[in-house]
Amino acid sequence: MSNVASNHFDVIIAGAGVAGLTSAAAAASRGLRVALVSSGPGTFVFGAGCVEIQNMNSKTPSLAEAIAFFCKLTDLAGCGFYGAIDEHRYIPTILGSFQAVSLAPFYMWNGDPSASNEVAVVGIKGLSSFNSQFIAERLATHASDLGQSAAYVAKEIALSVEPGAIPGTLRFGHRYDREPRFREELRNALKPIASNVDLIALPGILGLKSGRKEIEWLERELGCMICEIPTLPPSIPGLRLFNRLEVHLRKIGVEFFLGFPIQQLLIKEGRCKGVLLETPGRPQKITSETLILATGQFSGKLLPTPSFSFTTDLRPVDSTGAVIADNIFAAGAILQNTPAHAGNAIAILTGYVCGMAAAGVGAQYAQGSQG
Amino acid sequence: MRKDRKDEVSLDNCLKCTDCNTACPVVTAHPAYPGPKRLGPELERMRREGIECDTEWVEYCLGCHRCDLACPNQVNVSELIARAKAAHKKTPVRRLRDFWLARPGLLGKLNTIVPEVTNFSLGLKPVRKLMSMFMKITPERKFPAYTKPDLRTPNVVAMNKGERVVFFPGCFIQYNQPELGRRVLELLELNGFQPEVASTGCCGVPSLANGNSEEAYKRATANVNSMMEAVNSGARIVTACSSCGHMLKTGFAHLLEDDPDLATKAAKIAANTYDLAELLVAQQDAGKFNTRFAPATATLKLAYHAPCHQKSQGIGRPWYHLLRQVPGVEIEDLNAGCCGMSGTFGFKEEKYPVSMEVGGELFAAISATAPQAVVTECATCQMQIEHGTGFKAVHPAIVLLNAYATDAKQYSFTADTSGKPKDDNMPSCA
Repeated sequence: MSNVASNHFDVIIAGAGVAGLTSAAAAASRGLRVALVSSGPGTFVFGAGCVEIQNMNSKTPSLAEAIAFFCKLTDLAGCGFYGAIDEHRYIPTILGSFQAVSLAPFYMWNGDPSASNEVAVVGIKGLSSFNSQFIAERLATHASDLGQSAAYVAKEIALSVEPGAIPGTLRFGHRYDREPRFREELRNALKPIASNVDLIALPGILGLKSGRKEIEWLERELGCMICEIPTLPPSIPGLRLFNRLEVHLRKIGVEFFLGFPIQQLLIKEGRCKGVLLETPGRPQKITSETLILATGQFSGKLLPTPSFSFTTDLRPVDSTGAVIADNIFAAGAILQNTPAHAGNAIAILTGYVCGMAAAGVGAQYAQGSQG
Repeated sequence: MRKDRKDEVSLDNCLKCTDCNTACPVVTAHPAYPGPKRLGPELERMRREGIECDTEWVEYCLGCHRCDLACPNQVNVSELIARAKAAHKKTPVRRLRDFWLARPGLLGKLNTIVPEVTNFSLGLKPVRKLMSMFMKITPERKFPAYTKPDLRTPNVVAMNKGERVVFFPGCFIQYNQPELGRRVLELLELNGFQPEVASTGCCGVPSLANGNSEEAYKRATANVNSMMEAVNSGARIVTACSSCGHMLKTGFAHLLEDDPDLATKAAKIAANTYDLAELLVAQQDAGKFNTRFAPATATLKLAYHAPCHQKSQGIGRPWYHLLRQVPGVEIEDLNAGCCGMSGTFGFKEEKYPVSMEVGGELFAAISATAPQAVVTECATCQMQIEHGTGFKAVHPAIVLLNAYATDAKQYSFTADTSGKPKDDNMPSCA
C-alpha cells in the first residue's frame, strides 16, 4: 500500500457483497491499492453469508484455493468460516427447516443435527419473529428425515426490556455489543437450559460487531455449543459478517466509498480509466488500472451492452464476442450463465480470481466446469 | 411555506429492508428511538395522506446522513426526516431555544461584540443554571470561547500569484477559531493557491437541524448570491468545516430547488465546492502538492475521526491519507462511528445523555489508542471528543501546516492523555 494520498488506485471494485469483499481482500493481499465502491451494503441484512458448493464440481480450477483464502480471510476478520468443498452440513433456519451448506461462520456451524443429541431452541419473550415451539417441532421432523436422532425442545427466556423499547434483534444485538451487563443477563438466562442440552439454537442477536472472542465467551460460560439462527431482516449474523470484513479490509488498506452508486464507467478505446461516483455536488472521479464489477444480479446497467457473457479470465464480452474493455473483470452474481444457486461459492471463486487477476496473478476461472 | 418539492424521492424505493436502522447512531444509543425507517419514509407516507403523525422523536435525528449512505436503494431518508422536523410542533421553551441554536451566525455577531464579557458570562455557574432552567441548555458542557472575528483575506501583495480560491469559513472559524482560518489560508498559499475569505454567513446546517427551514432558506440564498461572482470567474470554493462543506454541496440545491434561478446558482456553487483536503489531494494528483516537509524531530501519534458530514461527501479519507505522508506522523483511523455531538444537538439538555451514549464507542476507541491528539475536521466533533475523553482534538490542517518548514507559529500538541474529562473544550490554535 503506497503512502500517498490520491484518487488513483490499482483496482476499483464495484459492489460490497461477498464477491466484492473477497476480490478486495485478494487484491489487497497482493499489495494493491484498492478502492471498494458500493451503492449499499450488499445483501447481508437478509442472510448470513453461508456457502453452498453443491452445484459445483469440487475440481473446478482455483475453487479450493479461493475457499481456503475466504476461510483465512474470515478468520482474520474474527468471523471465521468452517467447512470445506466436499463437506455438507445442515444448519437450522427460522422456518424450522435445514439449509444445506458447505461452509458457515463458526456461530452457525454447530447447528448440524449430527453434532448433538439434545438441542434447545430458545426464543425470547416478546420477540415476535422467532417462534421456538414451531421451529423445534419442525426441526425434529426434518432431523429425523435426515436420519438424525437429535431431540429438539422449545424454551423461552425473558430478558429485561428497556423502557419504551420493543424487543427486536437489532436492539438485542446492539446491547450485546455495548453492555457487559446484558451479556451477563443473557448468560444467566441461558444457564439453566444449557445444563441439559449440547446445543442452544437462539435467534441471531450476538452482536453486530462482536467477533470470536465475544461469542465464544458465551459458549465457554454456558459449557455448551451455540448456534445462531438468522431472523427476519435485519439479520444480525449477516451484518456482523459485513462489519467484521469491512473493519479488516480497512486495516489492510482498502479504501471504502460506501453509499455512492457508480454513475458512469469511463471507458475509452477498450480500456476503463475509472469511474464517476454519484456524490454530493459533483461526480467524484476515481481512476484505476483495473475495474472489477461485482454489482450483483440486479444492476448490470453499467456496461455499455445490455447483456453479456465473459471470457475464461472473467472479462465481459459484448454480443459480437469482443471484450468490452481489456481491464474490466466481473465477479459474483453479475455473471450470467452461471448456476445462480451455487450460493456464494461462485461469488468467492470469481471474486478471488478477479482480485488475483488485477494483481497480475493468472488464476483462471474455467467456464462450464460446474457439475 | 414553499410548495412541495418537485424532484420527489420515490417512496416506493423504500423496501423496508432496515439497512438504515442498522446504520443509525441514535438507534444504537436510545432503546425507544423508532429509527430512520419509521421517521423518514413511513411518516412521509402518512403526511402525504394528511394523517396526523407528528412525533417528538424527529427532534432526535442527528442529521448524520448515515441512513442515506446505508440505503441500498438510494432513498433520501434523512431528507424525509428533515421534512418531518420542519413540520414538527415544538413546546414554547424549545421553540425559543432552537430559535437561537438555529442562528449561530447571529449569536456569533452578538457574542463577539465584547467577546471577553461573553466568555466570562458563559463560564459562570449561575448563568449556566439559568440557561438550563429557561433555555434547556445543558450545564454539563462548556461553551466554546468566542474570539474577535478578524479573519481577513491575506494581503495580496505579499503573496505569489496562484489559482484564485474562495475560502468559506463558516461560523465556528469566523467567531470561535479565526486563528484556524488563518492557518487554512496559509496552507492554501503554501500549495500554490491565492486564497480569499468569502463574505458569507452561516451555511444553514444548524437551522435545518433545528427544524427551521425558512431560516436555512434565507442563509442559502444569501450565501449563494454572495459567492456567484467568484464561481462565475472560475474560482473554486474551499471549506474546512465538513458540515459547511456538506451543506454547500447538497443542502443549498435541496433548499432552493423551487426557484429556477437560485437552483441553477446553487448547483454551480455545489459543483465548485471542495473540502480543503479534497482540494489538496487533487493538487497532489496534479503533481502540485507541496511536500517540502521539515524532517521529523519526534514521532507524533495521532488518531483520526472522520466526521459524519465528511463521510457523506463521498471523497474518501483525504486528511487521513495526507497526514500519513507527514514525516514522523503515525495516524490511525478510528472508524468508530458518530461522535454524537451533531452541532447544537449535544447542547440540548434533554438530548445530552443520548449525545454522550452515541459517542461511547468513539470515546472507547480513542482511549484504547491513547494518541497524542485526535484529529478531526469538524469543530463540534472536536468539542465532543475533548468533553468525552479529555484527549486533545485539533483540525488536521494544523498538523499539516506544522509539518512544513515555515516560519509559521508551531502548534504544540500538549495533549492531556490522562483520559479524564477535562474542562477546557476549546482546541486553542495559538
